[in-house]
Amino acid sequence: MNPPDGAPRPPTYPSQLESMVLPKQRASPASSLASLPYRTSNPSLHKLFESTASLSGSRASSGTATPTASVVPGSVFSPGSRQNGTGTPVALPPGVSDEHRILIQRAFVPHVAVLADAETEQFIRGKGLEGGLLQLLRPFGESVPGKVTIRDSVGAGRSYDDFGVRFVGANDGLGLPLSAGRNSGLRVSTETSRDGGRVSSSSIRPRRVGGDVAQIEELVDRHLQYSEFNAHDPMPDYFDQREASAPSDSSSSPFYTLFLKRLLSGLPLVPHETFAHPVASVIAVSSQSPDPIEELRSLYSRQTTGDLRLPPWVENQYLRYYVLVDDEETGDIAKSKQTFDAMKRHFGLHCHLLRLKRQQCIPSDDDSVRLPTCEWMSASEELAEIQKRETTDDITDPTPYLPDSDVTAIKTFIRELVAQSIIPNMERHTAQWNEQVLSRRRGMAGRFMSISKRWTPFGGGRSSSSSASSNSNYDSNQGFYRNDAPEALMRKLADYSFMLRDYKLALSTYDVLRSDFNNDKAWRHYAGAVEMAALSALMPTDRLPSKTRVDSIDTWIEAASYNYTNRQQMNTPYYALRSLACSVELLRLRGGSAADDGARWSSRILELGLVGPVGSALFTERASACYVVRSGIGSMRLGSRRRKAALWSVRAAESWYRLDKALQAEKCLDTALRLYGSQADAGEVVKGLPFPEMQAFIDELRQQILGLRLANRGFDDEQNENDVEDSLVVEEATETLDTNPRIHRKSLIGAAPPLMDVGPLSPTLERGEEIKKDDQFE
Amino acid sequence: MSYNFTIMSPTDTPLFTHEFGTSRSGGDGIARFTTSERSLNPFILHSALDVVEEVQWGPSTSSGSAPMYLRHIDKYANSYISCWMTGGNVRFLLLTRPRDEALGGTAGGGGVRGSLAGGRSGLAGAGQVYSPTNAATEEAVKNFFVDVYEAWVKTIMNPFFHVASGDVVKSPVFRARVAAAAKKYL
Repeated sequence: MNPPDGAPRPPTYPSQLESMVLPKQRASPASSLASLPYRTSNPSLHKLFESTASLSGSRASSGTATPTASVVPGSVFSPGSRQNGTGTPVALPPGVSDEHRILIQRAFVPHVAVLADAETEQFIRGKGLEGGLLQLLRPFGESVPGKVTIRDSVGAGRSYDDFGVRFVGANDGLGLPLSAGRNSGLRVSTETSRDGGRVSSSSIRPRRVGGDVAQIEELVDRHLQYSEFNAHDPMPDYFDQREASAPSDSSSSPFYTLFLKRLLSGLPLVPHETFAHPVASVIAVSSQSPDPIEELRSLYSRQTTGDLRLPPWVENQYLRYYVLVDDEETGDIAKSKQTFDAMKRHFGLHCHLLRLKRQQCIPSDDDSVRLPTCEWMSASEELAEIQKRETTDDITDPTPYLPDSDVTAIKTFIRELVAQSIIPNMERHTAQWNEQVLSRRRGMAGRFMSISKRWTPFGGGRSSSSSASSNSNYDSNQGFYRNDAPEALMRKLADYSFMLRDYKLALSTYDVLRSDFNNDKAWRHYAGAVEMAALSALMPTDRLPSKTRVDSIDTWIEAASYNYTNRQQMNTPYYALRSLACSVELLRLRGGSAADDGARWSSRILELGLVGPVGSALFTERASACYVVRSGIGSMRLGSRRRKAALWSVRAAESWYRLDKALQAEKCLDTALRLYGSQADAGEVVKGLPFPEMQAFIDELRQQILGLRLANRGFDDEQNENDVEDSLVVEEATETLDTNPRIHRKSLIGAAPPLMDVGPLSPTLERGEEIKKDDQFE
Repeated sequence: MSYNFTIMSPTDTPLFTHEFGTSRSGGDGIARFTTSERSLNPFILHSALDVVEEVQWGPSTSSGSAPMYLRHIDKYANSYISCWMTGGNVRFLLLTRPRDEALGGTAGGGGVRGSLAGGRSGLAGAGQVYSPTNAATEEAVKNFFVDVYEAWVKTIMNPFFHVASGDVVKSPVFRARVAAAAKKYL
């Protein structure tokens, strides 16, 4: 069931998505700013773009990538060639960093809901943090300080130092357009009740939930624009680049990393996967409140029965962690200690006393620390932030500062929360479900049950009581499993073990779930299970037999993308894009024929039309990167995909050019030329591109990009236009002189423009009019 | 259905290029590439060489001798590539761009019958989807290649033609023969 190749369909996102695009976007002054060539670039704004700004520096920043010749002994016929695609991320192909694997690993982490009483919120807002406790905790939760040790299902412990949790609002993920109408009523009511009490500065609150591809694209576009217009004196760059022209051709552009990161941040709260379901909840009260214990109770009951209750497909009995926020300066420590002891008596061990300073901190203070930027915020948040800073003239950095002691207190708190409460709790649950649910389902009886469920004669007695349509636990009308159904528990078990990085257990659980969901015709759940099965099979760093990969993983990825996109009423292109993008990255890391598949999947993303213009340029570039990884064997580099990679690079350059992104286009074009050129060193000298048509095409593209770049840099007025034309003219006049196509960028500074090599082309192709004598051999 | 037939030398330079359209089922034999497709074709053909080499040196799929006709080997977007290898490692590449309606994206154009290479097997159905691995398609392409190969061998037997030094084929007779083969089979 391949989708038709022709006629790429436009992305069909639910219409509600459009309403999520920041409403004020177009109306705001920022939009008019966006169209100006030079934009206010204040330092605080620059900070926001830091993640991608490395590009405007030099490309060499991706340091580690010194391509070493991959010397594989023997010819293609040696067993070496059979290992295609079984390579492991441990033995990465040269020049490939597994940054994206780590990114994916860090994207799926436990979510912790944050709930605080009014007093605490006020206290924290007094410190200059508008977002209250959540804003304070969020950046620190992204990486837990120190190593975190996790025991997997067989009891072996492993330490990770990049473990993190996501702090989210008490019911942030809800009301996501993807989980459609049914919830929206619920969301509205809760939102209003929550907003009622707070002073919200603007009517548009940026959503902390991601999953909106259009917004991600817009954000990346913003970053691109910024880098186009603020590329600092590009001339030195070019010299840099030429020096470092033994390049990290597999280095990924920071924009792609950004895209991927935003794609994976703010996972929505949905029935078919439990990553965003809270694993724990932090409930905070202030020591100033008259009766903290009572306050805690009321907050707790808001979560279990009150307005913050999550829908029936989310398990409500998650871990509650009680925090007493104390004012370090004015608070009465003795009284707080007493309250804290009372809390411990009431609620057990999961309690913490967090002592913070009251006064607002300013950057010039002695021990002030800048609140770190949130790394995993959703696209809409970042967009809102960018807009906010663009429109204010204030050159000071609006980010709040904290006293050093607060930072230490928060870090201690988070470390304790994660290492002593959340992880042990998750481990316990994993072990328990593994024993009680999974092994029972897997055992003889479980198999029999699942068969008998399918064939009513066996389970007739049981099924007669349940609804007529089916006797499964799946509620097909509303499209979810209740949170205590075995399937839901198993999904939770699988997700937990995925988050705890026990990929083996995750894989086997997803595998069981896969068939269950398939029998229940729970298509979206099925897609979710196969997606994660594919990811958890690809995530580990050990070898994977090529056959397994081709046989199962490919079909899983295929099934995931098909079921996410092609089922009626369940069209969730975001998830399809997520599963394909992650698979592309993980396959690429495996090198060999797996990288080939990676390229194939990224072209599938384009064919399915899952992304808009920016995304498709990024993924075109990515396909090229996938082919680059496959380096081939032996002196002839057999099996390499350089020509394919070059083709995709040219395509990428073309798409970037159409998006007016000159820097990116130029970068891709350089990559392409390098790839084409590098074939020459196999022996014979090939000076140009093999086809004159190719050369002409590339020359023309380069000219256009050059013009675009000048235009972007503000050379719009007539005089400069003449300059451009001049340089173009001169260039054409001397066209046959030079052989290095890249030198001609010098024409920017008016040096004698050296040129493209149309002249010494490969053996001339037949050119009708030039040929006077025909060699009619007959 | 539009075709681009290119002969690639062992050093990856083109020796001969011929563009034509289908002559089957009322086709007029004129290629209908759009401008952007036409400029992209060389890139696609060139990139297909990666796969050609892999198929050439990889484990043989047919028992016994390595075949000269490698069948359909590659695809980029809507272009399908078939390949024939000569004994001298010269590659014949045929790029096929089916009509849009034969791609299965839209319902088959009313009453337009596909060419033989477009899959005669599906003539009954209105929306016949082009399949490069269709037996009829493969056979047609093979016949075309066989004819071209015969002409090619005659060309390189010419003592004044230095195929080893990458001479471009300029003979109008050769071109005429390719065109005739194209007209006959594709």
